[in-house]
This record gives sequence, C-alpha cells and structure tokens, in this order.
Amino acid sequence: MPPAGIWIDGLVQSCIYMTMAFGMVLVFSILGILNWAHGQFYMLGAFVVYYAITAAGIPFPVSLLISGVVVGGLGMLVEKFVIERLSVPGYGMLYVTVATLALVFFFEGAAGMAFGLMDKGLATVLPGVLDLGSFSVSYQKIAVIIFTLVIMAAMYVVLNRTKVGLAIRAAAQEPVAASLYGISVKRVSLIVMGIGCALAAMAGSIMAPVYSVNPFMGRIPMIMSLLAIVIGGLGSLTGAIVGGIILGLLNSVIAYKISYFSEVALFVLVILVLLIRPQGLFGAPQK
Amino acid sequence: MKKWYNITAISVVMVIVLGMFAMACAPKAAPPQPTGPITINIGLPMPLSGSASPWGLIPTPFREAWFEVFNKEGFKIGDQTYNIKLIQVDDQNTAEGGAAAAKQLIFGDNCKFIAGHWGWNFSAVAAVTNPAKVIFVTRNGSPDAFPVSWPGAYDPKTMPYVVFGTPSQEEFTFDCLALVDAFPNYKRLGLLDSTVGKGGGGWTKVQNTLDQAGVRWQSEWFTPGTTDFAPIITRFDEGGCDIVFVAGWIGEYMAFLKQRWEMGHKDMKVACSGPFVSMAMYKAVVGADAFEGAIGAYYAPWELKKTKVDPKYIAQCQEALTIAAEKTGKPYAYTGEIAWLPSHVLILVQAMQKAGTVDDPDAIMKAIRGGTFDTTVGKWTMSGAQTYGSPVVFGTAAPMCIIQGGKEVYLSEHPMEPLP
Amino acid sequence: MMLGRYYIDYKSVLPKVVAGALVVLLAVFPVITTNMVTLSILISSGIWAIAVMGFTLVLRTGQFSMGQAAFMAIGGYVSAILTVKLGIPYWPSFLAAGVVSGLIALVIGVIMLSAGGIYFSIITIAFGEIVRIVALNWEAVTRGAAGILTRPPAPITIGNFEINFATSVVPYYYFMFLLVIMAGLVFRQIDRTRIGGTFRGVAANPMLSEHLGVHLMKYRVIAFTVAGVFTGLAGAYYVTFLSVITPLMFDLWKSIQIMMMSIVGGISSIVGGALIGATVLYTLGTYLSRLPIYNIQYLLFGAAVVLVLLFLPKGTGLVDLWGKFWHKVFREPEEYEMPEESEMAVE
Repeated sequence: MPPAGIWIDGLVQSCIYMTMAFGMVLVFSILGILNWAHGQFYMLGAFVVYYAITAAGIPFPVSLLISGVVVGGLGMLVEKFVIERLSVPGYGMLYVTVATLALVFFFEGAAGMAFGLMDKGLATVLPGVLDLGSFSVSYQKIAVIIFTLVIMAAMYVVLNRTKVGLAIRAAAQEPVAASLYGISVKRVSLIVMGIGCALAAMAGSIMAPVYSVNPFMGRIPMIMSLLAIVIGGLGSLTGAIVGGIILGLLNSVIAYKISYFSEVALFVLVILVLLIRPQGLFGAPQK
Repeated sequence: MKKWYNITAISVVMVIVLGMFAMACAPKAAPPQPTGPITINIGLPMPLSGSASPWGLIPTPFREAWFEVFNKEGFKIGDQTYNIKLIQVDDQNTAEGGAAAAKQLIFGDNCKFIAGHWGWNFSAVAAVTNPAKVIFVTRNGSPDAFPVSWPGAYDPKTMPYVVFGTPSQEEFTFDCLALVDAFPNYKRLGLLDSTVGKGGGGWTKVQNTLDQAGVRWQSEWFTPGTTDFAPIITRFDEGGCDIVFVAGWIGEYMAFLKQRWEMGHKDMKVACSGPFVSMAMYKAVVGADAFEGAIGAYYAPWELKKTKVDPKYIAQCQEALTIAAEKTGKPYAYTGEIAWLPSHVLILVQAMQKAGTVDDPDAIMKAIRGGTFDTTVGKWTMSGAQTYGSPVVFGTAAPMCIIQGGKEVYLSEHPMEPLP
Repeated sequence: MMLGRYYIDYKSVLPKVVAGALVVLLAVFPVITTNMVTLSILISSGIWAIAVMGFTLVLRTGQFSMGQAAFMAIGGYVSAILTVKLGIPYWPSFLAAGVVSGLIALVIGVIMLSAGGIYFSIITIAFGEIVRIVALNWEAVTRGAAGILTRPPAPITIGNFEINFATSVVPYYYFMFLLVIMAGLVFRQIDRTRIGGTFRGVAANPMLSEHLGVHLMKYRVIAFTVAGVFTGLAGAYYVTFLSVITPLMFDLWKSIQIMMMSIVGGISSIVGGALIGATVLYTLGTYLSRLPIYNIQYLLFGAAVVLVLLFLPKGTGLVDLWGKFWHKVFREPEEYEMPEESEMAVE
C-alpha cells in the first residue's frame, strides 16, 4: 500500500491533468479539434505569472487571474486568425491540426527567445510545508488542490447557471439547432477557446512554483491531458475530470511500484482503452 | 503578353530562391592566412539550442576568454607560433546532430581537432572523425568505451584517433567515493540517473567498483522529462538512503532537491554530478532552504588539496574568469569548464609539441599514448590500455563542494586514479 | 503547335518537359556540385519524402497516422541489428527491414484500424511512444540510449568501377534517387489503379463506399502495410546514412514532422506533394538551424508553416501551385477574365 505521500502527490498531478483535460474537451466539443498547442498555453501562463510576480511584484492570486485573462485572450486571437481560417469543410481537422502543431514550435521558440532557456523558479511563492507527522506537504501543492476545487466549482456554475454556459452546452450538443435559436456558433467558439486556454494558463500558473518554469514545460502536460481525455471519453467533461483523477493517481502509484516503466504502462492502458472501449468511460459511442 | 510576363516573373523568383539555397549550402571560404602566428581551428559540437542549451551557451564567454588568454602567448613548435580558434556548432544534443556538427566542422570549417562533451554523443561523432583522421578529444567516452560484446562500439582498431576524457561512469564512481569520504557515517548511497544513461553496461561497472570499495548503494532510474520525483524519493527513503547522487540534468536535480525537502526528508543529502551552473537559478527554483546542503562538483583548481595544479594555469583560469565577467557584465562563477576544455586543449598542444608537428595525426596520437601531460587539473599520465584496449585515457580529479550560507564550500576530493 | 506533320499539344507537354528537366538536373546534380552539405540535405529530403508518401497514402484512406516515424525506427533497428550484430551484409538487411516493418504494420494495422478516426490517430501516437520506449529499455537488443553505430554498405565493384559508400556521399545520393523513384512509381501506380480510386472514394465518402460493397478495412490495411514497408526501408537507409541509430531519433515529433511535410506539400498528389513538402520543410529547418540566434529556428519554422497554410487556398498544398502556375501561364487572357461589371449587374 503506497504511503500517504504518494497519494497526495498523485492527487496534485490529477488536479493539473484534470484542469488541462477539461479545457481541451471544452475546445474539442465546440470546435471539433484537439488543440495540440494546449500545453503551450500552460507554459505561457506560467511565464506570465513569473514575470508578474518577479518583475512587477503583483501578488500571486492576482497574477494568476491576470495570466488567465492574458493567455485566454491570446487563445482567442489564435482561434480567430488561425483556426477559423483553416477550417475547411471536409478536411477541416487536417489543416487545423497541422497549424496547432506548428504553433507548438512557434510558441516554444518565441518563449525561448523572449524568456531564455534556463529554468526559472518561484520557490519564494507560498514557501513552507505543512507537517503531517510521517510526511509533509508543501503549501504550494495544497494551493494546487484548493485552486482546482475552486476552478471546477466555477466551471460548474458558469456552464450550468449562466446564459453563456447554456449557449456553450447547446452549441456542443446540437450546433445546427443552436444556431437556429440565434446562438452564434462562431462567437461561442471564440469564447470557449478563451476559456480553454485560460484554464491551461492558470494550471500552468498554479504549478509554476511547484516545479520550475521553462519553455518546454508544456509538452508533457499536453500528452498527459490527451491520455486523460482518452480514458475519460473524448467529448465528455465529466470524463475529463474522472480521466484526470485516474491518470494522476495511477501515474504516481505505478511509478512508485515499478519506477520508470510507468510510462509504458500508461500507454498500454490507453491502447487497451481505445481498442476495447474507444469512447472511454463517459463518451458517447461513435459509429 | 501577360503569360510571358508571368513566366519571367516566376523564373526570376525561382532563380533568386535557388541562389539563396546554394549560398546557404556553400562551404565557407577558408580564412586568409595571417602573417605571424598560424591559427589552428578546434571544433566543438555543443548543445546550443533546445532544452540542454544552457550547458552550451552559459560557458561560452569563459571559453572565448580562455582562448584569448591562451593566444596571447600561443604555443610554439620550433620557431613557429600557433594560435587556436574555437568554433562551436550546435549539435542539438542528439547523436545525429553530433555527427552532422562534426561534418560541418571538419569539412566546412577545416577544423584540425574536435573536442567533445557527452558520452552518448561520442560514437556518432567518432564515426565521422575517424575516417577523416581528425583527432577527437572527448570528455566522456563511456559506455561505448567499454570493451563490450557489441561490435560497433568503441574499437581502438577502427577508431585510432580518439582520446578519452573521464568516462561518465568513472567520474560518477569517483564522485561517489568522494561523497563517502566526506560522510563516513552514511547509511546508504542512492544512485539516480535517467534511463537514457542506462544502456551499454556503464552503470554496471560503476556499481561493481562501488561494491569492491564496500559502498552500500541503491539504484533508481527516471524517464527523461520527469518533473515529479515523489515516487522515487519515497523509494529511496524506504531503502534507507541518506545521500542521493543524481547523475542527471540540472532540471531534474533541482526538482529532486526541492521535492525531497518539501516531503519532509530534510536530512537527505543530494549531490549532483556536475558543477552548479548558475547559483541564482538554483536559489530561485529550489528555494534557499532546500538549497542549503546541496552538493555539487567543484572544479576551481586553486581549491584542490590532494591534487597539485601548476600556478601558471591557475593564473590563466582566473584571468579568463575575470574577462568573462567583464563580457557578461556580472560576476562569472561557473568553473565547470576548467576541468575539461582547457585541459583537453593543453594535452593536444603538448602532444603536438612533443611530436614536433601540427599536421600528422598519427605522430600526435603516438605522443599522446602513455605520455604525461600538465593540465589545468593537475599532471596526468595517459593510461587505459587494459580497461579500454586503448592507452589513451586521462582523468579529472573528483572534487565536491557543499552549499553553506548560499556559497560553494570545499567538501572533499577523490584524486582520479589512472585506469589500468 | 505544329511540328512537321504532328500536332503537339504544348499545353500538356511543356509541364512534363519541365518536370523531366528538373529530374535530369537532380540526376546529374552530384556532377555539378560535390558540396557535401547540399547533397546531404537532398538525400535526407528524399528519404523523408518516402516516409511522407506513406503517410499520404494512409491519409487517402481517411486515416491520420501519427506514428509513421516508429516504422522508420523499426526499419532502422532491424537493419542495424542485422548488419552490426549478426554480420549480415547490408542489402539483404535493408530488404529485411522493409519486410519486418511491413509485417508489423500489417499486424498492428489489423488491430488498430478497427478503431476509427481520431481514436486511430491516438493509438498511433501510443504505438510510436511504445516503440521508442522499447528501443530505449530493451538494452540487450538495442543497446538502449547508447544506440547502435551502423556501417556503410560494402563497396560494390562493377567491372573496373567501384561504388564506395564509405568515402563519399555521392553513392548515397544515387541510391536515394533510385529509391525515391521506385517508391514514387509504386505509390503512383497504386494511386492510379482501382485500389487508388477506391481509396479516394473511401476517403471522400466512407459510408457510401461501404454501401457500395467496398470492404473498408481491407483497403485501409493494405494502405497501412504498404506505407509501413516503404517507411521501414526509408528508415533502414537513413540510419546507414547518418551512421547511428538511437531511440530518440524517431520520436513523436518526427511523426509530426512527417505529417506537416505531407499537408504542406499537398495531399492531392502523393508523390509530388511528398517531394515538395519534404524538401521545402527539411531545407527550411536545416537553413534555420544555421542561424546564429538560436531559438529563432523553432519560432520561424512554426510561423512559416502556419503562414503557408494560411495563404494557400483552402484545401490545397504547395504541389497545387505547380498546377496553378501552368494554368496561369497557358490561359488566354481573353478567355477567362470576367469583366467586373457583369458581377455588379447581378447584384
């Protein structure tokens, strides 16, 4: 039975995968594409927070929100000027996919040029640990867990209790009918992209003090959130959450048991899911 | 006629594009021969882009400064003075990048010698340098240096123009022995490396040597790119390790250092296999608390106690550090480069002087084998005939420092024993 | 245009003549320049083009494979292990690499293609990662991260003439040339036969095709296997050219690169699109990596791809510019220009 430290660690990982996966699924259900540059928004969010705190002295919670807004805005620009223009009926996914992949290189290069390649740290934010007897947890990690709960609650409220949320859900389920009711799918796409990227950015921001900030930090969270979505089901928001939890906990526990083979185990698991039950746990079965 | 206009316009554009392409691919013209000292080019494939680029970029001011200081006098063979020019090319920290960089350096930049750094890049570069009869002085040769059952690894018969620096595994061994020297009451030594360093049987040799020395150890591996070390830290803790030696990249070391502190294992000492590249970075990422007590390699030759370094080289290195500080506009503290690049170059230079020529690789290699050389990290005699089937190995003293009060303080030192 | 008693339709002949001239130019290129760097760029572009052709073929059947680089790894390792560890001469190992790749593609294809659409793509990603992880960890066979050093093929003596791969890059160039032509012919042939027509139909409208009795899976598997064979051969050749194979050489990002080369080159033509896409992107990447400002390489590369995609007309690739160029050259100005006034009149 893995010690408590491993479970807590797994929980923290789950929080991040969950948040990222949620953002990706939102974007996928409206725009129909997987945003391969999702990890880059995670990275950019972390950099925004880093500079907000170290260069401008803005306190952490405010910096967090700023990074969400700024990077969310960037996401909307990307949607408007790149994704929209490349969506061709029929082969739409193809060109957009290549474009988002090219954007990965673009953002990594831009971040490398603008911010330098050395790891940057925010260890001074929320320093200290909470001593719980046989193990301790850093306040930074506790912050991650609290943040995720808050964000998920906020998402629930937005999606289920606001007009915008209603429009989003309608457009996700029945785009044609929704547009008949006067919901502009274009506008919803823009908003959803903004929200999705903001989620990624804030995930990156809250994690920035835990590890370190460098231009390449977005690659692995991207892949992990993709795996989480597969396990949970491609179109399902609940699936994103559950998939994130499963993946995060599994990753830590398996790594504890069999060390570096956890990589293989996860990929094999994903292949099995795709072969046996491709729609994941909560997705709708496709033909 | 509109269509001829179109054809002409497009043809002109195509010619311009092809011209640019040709220009980009054309080899650079050889530099004009200066009167006075003759310049020899030494090539250095280094990671200059991508995630490992701090290793290549940060020491660049020091390297350039050191050659500036060296070239003031240069070196003489007979009446002729020679200067050295260092040419760096990005190898993207991959094997094929290293081979491509070596090709560029040898065929495009006319380098007489190639200096190298990583063990896992070595074979690809050596595959290019040996047919071209260019002497390749590399810092790490392992795991390919071991006589293994695999043909295609280092083979002194097919690779006669390779000179080895401390193979990684030997350096790790001596680092570990220096650690155990410094903490004789240790319980268990944890060894951590990325799976990239696992292949080829190199670590087996380390572990055998440690066994022979009576060291208690536990070995763990992480996947490259891992940021979360909680599972591994827990495994080490359950195994009773109170010192952990991390033979990985900077990012992983920093993550390990920080996380073990946060998880409550404050008395677990963590050592890394290289010097501290930038103290400010460590403090920012790891936090001043967790950074206290961190242990790293330490190459300031003026601090070594068990190894004697010629005062002339100490002065040269200190002058180069001062120049580098002026160039970068802030104090330049990273001494890691001193252990290898200047000492490689000094070996080459002294070998050329012994052989009396700069142009005959066979004569120079003959002078290197079994010769004694005076370098920035002491005086060494080339050895290695039994271990590698090649009599060209030299070593670096394995010094360690510990962070106290935010500064590097000498901890202990294990003199390198020349390999049999 | 009249030439004696024969009427030559210059509109269809001229593009082909120009294309043929380019091919001849490429064939004698090593005579014009022995610049090793230029030749290396062309050799690598040709090899990637073969992998891209495979990707495009699979794409034609409606499947988006993001694991093609894994087949290059498989081919590379098979040929490296056979030549280096077992001492088998290069050319049989090269063919064996293709066969093994093809077999694995067949087996994996049958298993993986049963999932559809995006699921298939994600499985290919996982497959690629697993190949990389196995190569990294199965040290007994692959030497792990240290990789395997490959040797050039043995010199071939024909009469008095010796083709020596070890001393010069030129033999690599010519063999790559042959390989590309062979692959191109095979892929083009597949495209033109009934199978190719069926692929197009399947891609355009899978449901209709199925109702017409086309057995989807069969054609998808065929495409995937053929792609696997040639990608494996390309990989086997590439690792000999580079003199080393390591597990990290053919990772997910290389598969992504292949995909980019295909789409930017254009999917309307399997061979032409692959060649243009591979050459343009590979050359761009290499040229950029010479720039002294590091990091700008990634930035410019990404920006270039996005810009090309944005400015090409929707649904086309670079290869379609070729057709448009000739169309523009040959059209009679009077035939096609619509006077603007008539459009206004409709309003």
